[in-house]
Amino acid sequence: MNGNIFETRDLHYIYPDGTVALKGISIGIKRGKCTAVLGANGAGKSTLFLNFNGIYKPSSGQVLFNGNPLDYSRKGLKELRSKVGMVFQDPDSQLFSASVFQDISFGVVNMKLPEEEARRRVQAAMARTGITHLKDKPTHSLSFGQKKRVAIAGVLAMEPEVLVLDEPTAGLDPIGVNELMKLLRQIQDTLGITVIISTHDIDIVPLYCDYIFVMNEGKMVLEGTPKQVFAQKKILRSIRLRLPRIGHLMEILSEKDDFDLDTSANTISEARAALKDWKNRHSGCL
Amino acid sequence: MISIDKYAYSSKLRYKDPMQKLVFTAMTVAVCIWAKNNIISVVVIFMMGGMTVLRGGIPLRFLLKLLLVPMSFLLVSIFTIAVNISDNKELLLLAVPVAGKWIGFSAAGLKDSIRLFLKALGAVSCLYFLSLNTPMVDLLSALRRLRIPKILVELTGLVYRFVFVLLDTVNRIYIAQSSRLGYSSLSSSYRSLGAMGSMLFVKAYKQSDALYTALEARGYDGELNVLAENYESHWSWYVSAVAVNALLVLLAVVMKSATGGPLL
Repeated sequence: MNGNIFETRDLHYIYPDGTVALKGISIGIKRGKCTAVLGANGAGKSTLFLNFNGIYKPSSGQVLFNGNPLDYSRKGLKELRSKVGMVFQDPDSQLFSASVFQDISFGVVNMKLPEEEARRRVQAAMARTGITHLKDKPTHSLSFGQKKRVAIAGVLAMEPEVLVLDEPTAGLDPIGVNELMKLLRQIQDTLGITVIISTHDIDIVPLYCDYIFVMNEGKMVLEGTPKQVFAQKKILRSIRLRLPRIGHLMEILSEKDDFDLDTSANTISEARAALKDWKNRHSGCL
Repeated sequence: MISIDKYAYSSKLRYKDPMQKLVFTAMTVAVCIWAKNNIISVVVIFMMGGMTVLRGGIPLRFLLKLLLVPMSFLLVSIFTIAVNISDNKELLLLAVPVAGKWIGFSAAGLKDSIRLFLKALGAVSCLYFLSLNTPMVDLLSALRRLRIPKILVELTGLVYRFVFVLLDTVNRIYIAQSSRLGYSSLSSSYRSLGAMGSMLFVKAYKQSDALYTALEARGYDGELNVLAENYESHWSWYVSAVAVNALLVLLAVVMKSATGGPLL
C-alpha cells in the first residue's frame, strides 16, 4: 500500500442531464494529511467528493480507496461509507433528527456496533467537537456554527479513516472559521484521520493545509504544497481564484515597491519572518 | 405551537421517562372520559394543571392562555347541546317563543352540557400536561418503544424536524419579498404568496434530495435507527400513576352508588 488514501484514474463524471462535471481527473491524496481542493463555483469540487464515497459512480475511470478500486455493491458501499466520513455544506440537509444526540448516533448505529461501544463513540465525538452541552437541545434551536459541529460529530463518531468536508467554513463567522479549522487540524493530528476540504477561503489554506489541488471546469489544473501552488499566480488568477491576501501584499511590495523580499510568504508568520529577514539585511544601511 | 415546543424543552419534568408521562396521561384521560362525573373532571383539571405548573415549571399564565384555545369550539358545541326546541314551555328553564314553538335551556340539557364541558376540559388538560412537559423527540422515542410502526414514527420525526426548516425558509423568503415591496398591495401580495408557494415546493424537493444523499453517506439502509436516550425512570412513578387513577375510579364509583346510578 502506498501513501495515498484516495487515488483517481482518468475520472470522468457526467450528470444525467448531460452536464460534464469531471473531465479526466487523475490525482492521489496523501494519507494523514490535510488536503484542500480549490476551485471557483461550479469547478466540480462537490462532484469529485461525491465520487469519493460512492454516492456518484464514475461515468468512466476509476476511484481507488487504499489502493483498491471502489466496490459499488451494497456491502462494499456500506463498508466504504463507514470509513469515508462526508460532511455536507448545509448542516440542515444533513441533520435529520430534532435531537442532537440521536442524530449523532445515526451513523454509529448503522455500523451495527454493540450499544456500549456506540454510546462511547457518540460521547467521545461530542466531547471532541465541544458540543456535549448541546446534547439535550433541539436541533432547530442551534446556531449555524453549532449545527455544523453536530454534523461533524455525527460523522466523527463513526471513526472514519478520512473526513471529507464540502466547504466547511462557508457561512461561519471569523472566529468560527478559525475554531473549526483548528478542530479539523486537531482531529487530523491526534486521531490520524486524513482531512480533505473544499473551500473558497483561500487565506486559511496556507495556514491549515499541507497539500492543494486546484480545479477548473472539471479539470485539475494545479497541485502541490501551498508554496508551490501560490507561486503560480497567473494560472490562479485566470480561473477566478486569487492569492492569499498576505501573498498578494508581498507580491505588490516586491514588484511595485522594489523590496527584495521572499515573495513566497502566504501567512502572517511567514511574512513576519520575511520582513525580519529584510530588516536584518538592511540594518547596516539604515 | 412553537412556544409549546420551547416550554417542553425547558420543563423540569423533561428528563423523566416519556413513557411514564405517556402512561400517566393515557390512564387519566381514560378515567376522566369514563367517569362522566363533574367532580372527577374538575379534580383531573386541577391535578394536571397543578403538575404542569408546579412540577413542570410552566408559567400559569401560559397554561391558562392555552386552555382558552379550545374554548371557542367547546362553547359552540355545548351551546348546541344546551339549547332545545320544545312545544311545551314548562320543560324549559328559560325560553323565548319563536314561530309558535319555544327555544331555550332545559335542565337536563344544561346538566349534560356542563358535564361535557368539564370532561373535555379535563381531557385537554391531560394532553397539555403531556405536550408541555415532553419534547417531541422524547415522545417519539416512547412511541418507538411501544412498537408503533416504524414508518409512522420516522415520518413524524422527519416532519417535526423539517417543519422548523420550512418555517425558517418561509420567513426568509417573506423578508426578501417584502423588502422588494412584494406585499405592498393586495394584488402583489397574492402574486408574492403564489411565488413563495412554488419556491417552497422546489426547495423542499431539493432539500429532500440532499437529505437522502447525506443519510446515504452515513450508511442509511432504509431505517432511521438511533440510540435511545437515557431518561430518569423509576417504577414508583408507574405505581403512583396507577394509584392516583385507582383513587379517581374509586371516587367515581362511590359517587355513582351514592346517587343510585348504574355502577359501570
